[in-house]
Amino acid sequence: MDINTRREEAAAAFAAKGLPTVKEEAWRFTNVSRLNEETFDAVWQAAEVSFDPLSDLVVVFENGKWSVEASSLDGLPEGVRVRSIMDSADARLGTLADSDSGFVLSNTAQFSDGILIEVDAGVVLEEPIHVVHLADAEGGSFAYRHLIAAAAGANVTVIEEYIGSAGVRYLTNVVTEAFVADGAKVDHYKIQRESAAAYHFQTLESELGGDALFSNHAVTVGGRLGRNDIRGRLLGEESEAICNGLYLLGEDQLFDTHLFMDHAVPKCQSHELYKGILSDQARAVFCGRILVQQDAQETDAIQSNGNLLLSRAAKVNTMPQLEIYADDVKCTHGATIGELDEQALFYLQTRGMDPQQAHGMLTFAFANEVLDEVACSVVKLRIEAMVQAWLAGVNE
Amino acid sequence: MALLEIIELQAQVEEKQILNGINLSIQPGEVHAIMGPNGSGKSTLSNVLAGNESYEQTGGNVLFDGADLSELDAHERARAGLFLAFQYPVEIAGISNMYFLKAAVNAIREHRGEKQLDAMEFLDVIEDKKKLVKIREDLLERAVNSGFSGGEKKRNEIFQMAMLEPKMAILDETDSGLDIDALRIVADGVNALRSPERGFLVITHYQRLLEYIVPDFVHVLVNGRIVKSGGKELALELEEHGYEAFEGAAV
Repeated sequence: MDINTRREEAAAAFAAKGLPTVKEEAWRFTNVSRLNEETFDAVWQAAEVSFDPLSDLVVVFENGKWSVEASSLDGLPEGVRVRSIMDSADARLGTLADSDSGFVLSNTAQFSDGILIEVDAGVVLEEPIHVVHLADAEGGSFAYRHLIAAAAGANVTVIEEYIGSAGVRYLTNVVTEAFVADGAKVDHYKIQRESAAAYHFQTLESELGGDALFSNHAVTVGGRLGRNDIRGRLLGEESEAICNGLYLLGEDQLFDTHLFMDHAVPKCQSHELYKGILSDQARAVFCGRILVQQDAQETDAIQSNGNLLLSRAAKVNTMPQLEIYADDVKCTHGATIGELDEQALFYLQTRGMDPQQAHGMLTFAFANEVLDEVACSVVKLRIEAMVQAWLAGVNE
Repeated sequence: MALLEIIELQAQVEEKQILNGINLSIQPGEVHAIMGPNGSGKSTLSNVLAGNESYEQTGGNVLFDGADLSELDAHERARAGLFLAFQYPVEIAGISNMYFLKAAVNAIREHRGEKQLDAMEFLDVIEDKKKLVKIREDLLERAVNSGFSGGEKKRNEIFQMAMLEPKMAILDETDSGLDIDALRIVADGVNALRSPERGFLVITHYQRLLEYIVPDFVHVLVNGRIVKSGGKELALELEEHGYEAFEGAAV
């Protein structure tokens, strides 16, 4: 099916189906009905939002469109192609993101731009590609469609960052598809710091061949209402998926993470560590589903979701789900919702830290554990600084 | 003036009376050992002295360097120079040992009116102190006590003590869970920190530790009271006859 037909079909399906409602199991705790009452329009204009590039390879989208002036791809080596999704009718587009979710359908029908990253077999790109999305158009609707394809043995790091101008109301709806071929490695990071009045939805789909590695770290501090749907399919033996995340929420923010990991073949690993810190009346939803199919013997899957509540009004719904049809597997999951450990607070105080310092350090430690597997040092520093800044804001 | 003066100390935990009037006076430079069977109140004593809010002091007085300890919160006691080496050191994932130590050292330096150590100065102090307890470099980079063996945790406690240079150190069953080699290393670390100004209170169930950290005084704790005090030979007596004789006496 060519892409235009696909888009037309998606538009028709979306017109019939609309956005998901709380009657759907997967959206039970996340009510997006307000989006139907508010209006959003595609308004393509330059954005006046500052950002710090994390790499020499930077692609900047401003209010829905690739900005050639702000982007820089100098020094991109042979065997790596980075261009706008609008310039290419890539046949793979939509083959992973094939769900009938209203957000995916709407994205397929309406995406206005996106990035296509292709890395040829055996090519290792050391420098990360920093994909920045800037938003400051009030009432804007931004639909991005990204595709990452790492051929056999290729190696690439992609950082998606979303930055909004404070107080501006807009809607970002992103679909990213990642193809990780045999022996390839894709490290993917997502830093979401949209405006506090923004809505943000992303579906990230990945497919792994044999002996492949896909890692995703998703850090969320922004947005009034948002959700990440992160889905991985392990289709080749000995492959490994890492999906870690951190959400720091305050005021009346609601953020939902839905993970789905599909183990279709033997000897694969998936590790998922998610942590959240909530203050004020913030709400978080976490649903982590791991499917181990009958053939997927010797699967090693670990999932955990920990939540720290800094206020009595904050709320978390967490739902780990294991669905196992193979018999020789190692799968664990766990979820916690709580406060800081009293014994640990006492320990820090016996070392001279006052109660406020001890609280701050343990809260930071709680969040920081998620960053242990962040291999990209510039990303690690950026996220650590974001966590510190967020915690400083809470303590004010 | 005594460094630590415990007068008729009574304490309870979860509304259960554990300490029934303890008297103990420790002068600078002295090493005192408290020995007692399980349930005698050893851990309650160390927790009360360190300021754990889960334990309530219900009577008596404790003076540290002349100041009433009950007036001070745990962190103020630490800043005033009191140190507790935990029986079960707490694991803190997400914070490196190094970062943790730097925050602790600087909190205490700030209280003493000394300037904060910068990264280089801090590393110099680390280099100097880590030899004392033969602590491995990688344990400093790892998260605090996370995945450490029992011996590594206890060594880390003594290392922290060396870094913080307290006036008075309480070692709560530091020997528990240690094999003989680890015990020797920990004891060597403690002995290296003995000085005419510093006091030690070594709390233990077994005499073994006291072969390596030789105390000036030994006290027997039974049912929340010190029932006998003596010199280091008292530990050997206990080793031979056990606590039974004292348990009868305390009722």
